[in-house]
Amino acid sequence: MRIRLRTTIPVALAVLGLTTGCGAADMTKQASPFAHNGGGKSVTLSVQSWVGAESNVAVAQYLLEHKLGYRVDTVQVDEVPAWDALSQGRVDAILEDWGHPDQEKRYVEDKKTIARAGDLGVTGHIGWFVPTYLVKQHPDITDWHNLNKYASLFRTAESGGKGQLMDGSPSYVTNDKALVKNLKLNYKVVFAGSEAAQITQIKQFAREKKPFLTYWYSPQWLFKKVPMTEVKLPPYKDGCDADAAKITCAYPQTPLQKYLNADFAKSGGKAADFLKKFHWTTDDQNEVSLLIAQDKLSPDEAAKKWVDSHPSTWKQWLS
Amino acid sequence: MATLTVPALRTRTPAVLRNRAVGKLLLLALVTAVLLPLLHGRAWPHHLTVSLTQPLTDASNWIIDNRDTHPLFLYFFGYISNAVVLSVHAVYVTLLALGWPGVTALGALVAWRVAGPRLAAGTAAAFLACGALGMWEATMQTLALMVAAVLASVLVGLVLGLAGGLSARLDRALRPVLDTMQVLPAFAYLLPVVLVFGIGVPAAVLATVVYAAPPMARLTALGLRGADPEVLEAVESLGATRRQRLLTARIPLARKELLLGLNQTIMMALSMAVIASVIGAGGLGDRVYQALSTVDVGQALAAGIPIVLLAVVLDRVTGAAGADGAKAPRTIGWLYALAVTAAAALAARLLGALDWPVGWNVEIAAPVNRAVAWMTSHLYSGVPVVGGTADWAAHFTTWVLDPVRDGLQWLPWWSLLLIVAALAWVIGTWRTALTAVLAMAAIGVLGVWEPSLDTLSQVLAAVAVTLVLGFAVGIAAARSDRVERALRPVLDVFQTMPQFVYLIPVVALFGVGRAPAVAAAVVYALPAVVRITTQGLRQVDPAALESARSLGATGRQQLWQVQIPLARRALLLAVNQGVVLVLAVVIIGGLVGGGALGYNVAYGLAQGDLATGLVAGAAIVCLGLMLDRVTQPTERRPGKGA
Amino acid sequence: MSTTTVPTRKPPTAQGDEPVFSVSGLWKVFGPKPERVPADPELGALDAAELRTRTGCTAAVRDVSFDVRKGEVFVVMGLSGSGKSTLVRCLTRLIEPTAGTIAIDGEDVRAMDKSRLRELRRHRAAMVFQHFGLLPHRTVLDNVAYGLEIQGVGKAERRERAAEIVAKVGLEGMENRRPGQLSGGQRQRVGLARALAVDPEVLLFDEPFSALDPLIRRDMQDEVARLHQEEGRTMVFITHDLSEALKLGDRIALMRDGQVVQLGTPEEIVGSPADDYVREFVRDVPREQVLTARTAMRPAAPADETGSGPAVSPDATVAEAIEAVARAGEPARVMDEGKCLGVVGHEQLLGVVAGVDSTSATASGPTAGPIPKDTATEPREHARAEKPATSTPEAV
Repeated sequence: MRIRLRTTIPVALAVLGLTTGCGAADMTKQASPFAHNGGGKSVTLSVQSWVGAESNVAVAQYLLEHKLGYRVDTVQVDEVPAWDALSQGRVDAILEDWGHPDQEKRYVEDKKTIARAGDLGVTGHIGWFVPTYLVKQHPDITDWHNLNKYASLFRTAESGGKGQLMDGSPSYVTNDKALVKNLKLNYKVVFAGSEAAQITQIKQFAREKKPFLTYWYSPQWLFKKVPMTEVKLPPYKDGCDADAAKITCAYPQTPLQKYLNADFAKSGGKAADFLKKFHWTTDDQNEVSLLIAQDKLSPDEAAKKWVDSHPSTWKQWLS
Repeated sequence: MATLTVPALRTRTPAVLRNRAVGKLLLLALVTAVLLPLLHGRAWPHHLTVSLTQPLTDASNWIIDNRDTHPLFLYFFGYISNAVVLSVHAVYVTLLALGWPGVTALGALVAWRVAGPRLAAGTAAAFLACGALGMWEATMQTLALMVAAVLASVLVGLVLGLAGGLSARLDRALRPVLDTMQVLPAFAYLLPVVLVFGIGVPAAVLATVVYAAPPMARLTALGLRGADPEVLEAVESLGATRRQRLLTARIPLARKELLLGLNQTIMMALSMAVIASVIGAGGLGDRVYQALSTVDVGQALAAGIPIVLLAVVLDRVTGAAGADGAKAPRTIGWLYALAVTAAAALAARLLGALDWPVGWNVEIAAPVNRAVAWMTSHLYSGVPVVGGTADWAAHFTTWVLDPVRDGLQWLPWWSLLLIVAALAWVIGTWRTALTAVLAMAAIGVLGVWEPSLDTLSQVLAAVAVTLVLGFAVGIAAARSDRVERALRPVLDVFQTMPQFVYLIPVVALFGVGRAPAVAAAVVYALPAVVRITTQGLRQVDPAALESARSLGATGRQQLWQVQIPLARRALLLAVNQGVVLVLAVVIIGGLVGGGALGYNVAYGLAQGDLATGLVAGAAIVCLGLMLDRVTQPTERRPGKGA
Repeated sequence: MSTTTVPTRKPPTAQGDEPVFSVSGLWKVFGPKPERVPADPELGALDAAELRTRTGCTAAVRDVSFDVRKGEVFVVMGLSGSGKSTLVRCLTRLIEPTAGTIAIDGEDVRAMDKSRLRELRRHRAAMVFQHFGLLPHRTVLDNVAYGLEIQGVGKAERRERAAEIVAKVGLEGMENRRPGQLSGGQRQRVGLARALAVDPEVLLFDEPFSALDPLIRRDMQDEVARLHQEEGRTMVFITHDLSEALKLGDRIALMRDGQVVQLGTPEEIVGSPADDYVREFVRDVPREQVLTARTAMRPAAPADETGSGPAVSPDATVAEAIEAVARAGEPARVMDEGKCLGVVGHEQLLGVVAGVDSTSATASGPTAGPIPKDTATEPREHARAEKPATSTPEAV
């Protein structure tokens, strides 16, 4: 019996290979099983976990569906896996990327499976922020030199004897641990682990007007709800973040980028052209984000509201 | 006095020595004393670690560079992936074609056929509720994914189970593997699967199959092995062939276990289908996950409720199918059920009502959000007398979590190994002790000793809280039918509600950090502990209780002197389950500031960093193995022979 | 002869026919390398404890030989652990024997290949089990029809035949119940019906009634006796219950430690125990119910031939003879087909009751205390105190 099994398996595999082996199964040509069927033109967009990214996608989706007649599917993934998915053709576009040099080199330059699609028009910036109400009490707190003086203000159970610097989701770009060490700050980086947890905690602190120091980024709708002021770190210079372990400077201003799957960029027709031209401002994005996050509109409704009120902006993208 | 104590001591010493546990401990102490000169330092010695970063990064790069071209991917994984997509798509299209009236009718009729009219009504109500919450499409996506995943899991599980049930040698080989998979946290599977299959449904389905097939395999093997030997002998004495024996006796005799296996597989597949939203599974889990990004508890709950409803309905229906004894009256035949379903679907199609009517949606998000906001703003701090939840969390962190963590990290590494060995050996056998020690040592070798101890401290604290609460509630439920009845739906909800849903309320109440991580773990593990405790206490031999009552024992005496000692096994099982479940949500803890291993796994997933994620995942698995073995009282195996 | 109407011993059936089962030199040894035990006479002579320490083996059946004749009820009796259940399983190779020969109707069972063996089990020998071995998920009717299903008989036909058998064992109206809904006695009737349904040449019973209540057990024993009388089917019956063995058996093989200690008719076993073990075993048996006038009588003197006194059959039990003698007040003549074989008087009958009859030795052995008849443990002291008696193979 055992002997028979041992010979059966390779034979079965060989037969399987011969019968099906006439064509390779290319995973990159695969569509989502939940994709709208019906044979129409369709586009798949990647949505990252923050609301700004959701706003881009909401507006792009609205216009693609209502003005260009496409069907749009969205996939929610973290940033790095989204690059993977883009390269494999599981998604057609990333509309907001905060800078992933490793991925860019691998997929855009080496493998050429991903193509650049220009600026989003929004400039992103990461930094350390304190609530504005705290700045009113201690105006000098916005200089990093004074952070150690105020460390006791930021103390929590989690940070023990040190001040707490709250970081966010594991998917975000951060140098904070190295910064705290290299700037000799008496702080402990506490990872909230997810943006949801971080936002919830910030809101709780703000409700009680408690002091807090947090990693945060703009554009972000939360600024409208909890006004925050950036703490000035040593200024950013080109290349100062080359060695992540020895970093002592602030985060750069990042013009956010769009990327398309290389095949889609070539043969994506109107949709690809539209996505390449998609370009708006920080204020535009924030307007949509607030509608979604604060007014709890569905992304579709929020996009409709913005589209109805800004025809001049989006008409250019369609030309 | 002195003269009196001396003889007493003298007679006692040999008795102590004869005690088995003490003997084991002395032996361990001896071993340590011999090895002591070799052991030094507190943290795990650096030269004993093996860095896997480079090989894992290389492996990850190789896969990324080759997955579009290498034959292994083109001719093997590619086909698997395509088959998954095809089957999920087929189910999804069928469900959409049935429309909501068809699916509801089908679900209700199947429930009726299997479990009677009451569950049928419940099933129909559950489906309608999914629609009313605006989650019809997402529910169908999850259902399609589930159907494909459960079918594949059952198939894989059956094959493995048959192999293990029919061949003693395969069983010996399979059992430790399946035992280990039982304690693997779901998140540990995700990263390697994603690397090979990319994000999306195929990866989600395969991760689900890996997660959900083991219980089916275990229970199939158990059922086949547990068949009454005399029945099998009788069948053989009638001249049955191997095949006849399998088909007419062994498999039907294992029916109960097979259906229990199906039930467990479905439940595990459902929980994994939610977790797999992290890797693009779509469906309800995705809605929950998306709601998180806007910190929208109401929306998350609206997607969470259908999951709970699906889980409860599927559990009850498969549970009823597995129940033995007098069968429920078969009121309707399969053909009839199919005909009604087809009629419903056709009617819907003709009326153009396949999609859930938008006007029928019930908005729950806004009121839920208001309730949560009220709750968190009023309980968070400044509650008179008891203090706010934030203060509790801070105190818990300062007075419980910190000391435990610092204590563990302060202990020299070899003494920790020794403690683990002693615990496991005293409770189990030298085999379990060896497994536990090796698992613990593996953590050190992987180079994640410190974060693992951090995680361990959180797990221990969470288990302690879970047990205190669980035993208290369990005892209350065991003593009062009313409490138990009231508790049942609450436990169902907490057990099946996706953890992502209560992530935000937990942070809103306890702030960011390890305290909410512990809270989330407690919420997840509590239902099982309460259930096992209640069941264990209730199953205590009534004769023993009666005799205690006849001797005039008070309720309290009955509890402490009869029920609890007699339910010892069940209580130990509760501890074991508590540990395993708490560990399963360590990564959820990572998402609310628990840090340590949970954060590392989340980081690995988010950054596609195999080295960090996989090592942390392996460390969680090792912790799980260690804790499982330490809390698992193994029966001493009887000597071989007759 | 009105005195012999009481159901006594069955007429010995078709004596002298060729045997159905013929077993000789059968061994079953459990443990590592079991074949060396029967092969080596020195090992074979060891007792159980020594064998275990020397080889790690246990001999469940040791060098057993017997014939089962066509139409008889052959009982194998012994306490638990004596190897009787192993022995019966060896007959159809449910347990593979270690050494020896088994023949059914002259065909070597041990030489059969798989399909031939299956044939044997399907058509020639069916077994009834102690705990019934029913399939809980099937109805009574389908359980009874199961053997036919295994043989590949069509559904309608096997159900029809099963229904007949169900009626025969008195389970009419319960065809559609499941085993879980039946009492123990009813379940065993299903087990019996299942074995009967395949119309086997031999029925094998493995302690079929020991799990039943005493009253129900008696009913079932009567049922088996009735079936045997009606059909004359050959039966091999395993039991640990002496009264059951005496009631049903045409011949009894008494086993101890895997060996047959004595083989003979109930009368021979009770009347002339082969050794002290057997004697102790049968000590509490009411001898007058088992022994016959033929055994008890003294040879007829010429004067008795024509004398007065009631006539009894030689197969009448002593109890019946006592009744006759007591009624008449004088010795009874043992008459067979008009010939006077002998005479039983007060002395002979009292001798039987008191256990001091002429054929066996006087008092019982030196061992004290009764031997438990159906406890689960083998009485160790006896095992060591007495040398195992050599088996009496092929008793005539």
